[in-house]
Amino acid sequence: MTAPSQADPPVTLTLAAVLRGMQRLFPVSLFVLPFGTAFGVAAVDQGLSAAQAIAMSALVFTAIAQFAALDLLIDPVPFGSLVMVMLALNARHVIIGAALARWINQLSWRARVLTLAFLSDANFADTRPMLQGGDADLGPLLGGGLMLWLAWVSSTALGALAGDLIGDTSAYGFGAVMVYFFAAQVVRGVRTSGSLLLCACVAMGVAVMTHANLPVGWNVILAALIGGGLAAATDAGTQAKTQAKTNAE
Amino acid sequence: MLSDTSFLIALALMTVATLLTRMSGPVLMAHVRLTPRVERFLEGLAVSVVAALVASNLVGTPANTVPVLGAVLVMLLTRSAIWAMLAGMVIAAALHAGFAI
Repeated sequence: MTAPSQADPPVTLTLAAVLRGMQRLFPVSLFVLPFGTAFGVAAVDQGLSAAQAIAMSALVFTAIAQFAALDLLIDPVPFGSLVMVMLALNARHVIIGAALARWINQLSWRARVLTLAFLSDANFADTRPMLQGGDADLGPLLGGGLMLWLAWVSSTALGALAGDLIGDTSAYGFGAVMVYFFAAQVVRGVRTSGSLLLCACVAMGVAVMTHANLPVGWNVILAALIGGGLAAATDAGTQAKTQAKTNAE
Repeated sequence: MLSDTSFLIALALMTVATLLTRMSGPVLMAHVRLTPRVERFLEGLAVSVVAALVASNLVGTPANTVPVLGAVLVMLLTRSAIWAMLAGMVIAAALHAGFAI
């Protein structure tokens, strides 16, 4: 097996591509707005100041974990649980980061940290197929992340500052939008490889069955590990294909 | 009520924990040989984690089941995550209105 990096064009991070990424994810970022507004409203309801809510969105930038953390921002703060919840609910960052490692690891340290700081599901989902297709510019990943970040922080500010005027945004069903987006991503993933359908179904079953017995987030991690293990254990098809490709070369 | 100091400590911990999860994937993979089996594991992991998030949400909010199924159907038909999200929202709103009447 040859090192893939030798055959690939050098990975770059250009401003033009960053701007292109911002454009690409502009429509998706509109769907972030109601969610960010809901977070701002919820954070102020929980007793945070508007400035604290905005700082949290700007620095943490992860929707689900931020919502989950709100319940733990009480006096006294259960710091241990807070860290565990953040790690558990963000563990999928490790996974999507690993899936981008082949390209990201070719950047300078500074560019690597900058790009990864804005890594999230939507810009990952948008960029990974492009990279897989031979594009070697990580600009769209960073640009898409910046667009999502701008939408997330500005809508948090809107919710935190004008929450009383906007009222309870959960009444409009916006809170569940992320679930529909995730469901769509599962469909996309299963489409690329039909054998992943079994992994997704098993993972859903495990998550449901362990939901009552494991702390928040851990049922998801367990389900993901079992799903991943299943994919690794049933890789006969891929190995055969790789073997055939190697032989053809 | 949360004190300012407690919030700042909590914010610092949340920021570092999240940054750690964002950084650790590429750092880990620099030390793991990317065999086809590892790639399959990562691929299975990526789909499973998102599927598990959906399932977990449905246990907590069973009312989301029909909108999620609608979103899945629209995704299968249109291949557009944006249309799928819109479909989920419209179905949820319609169900909500139906229950209200």
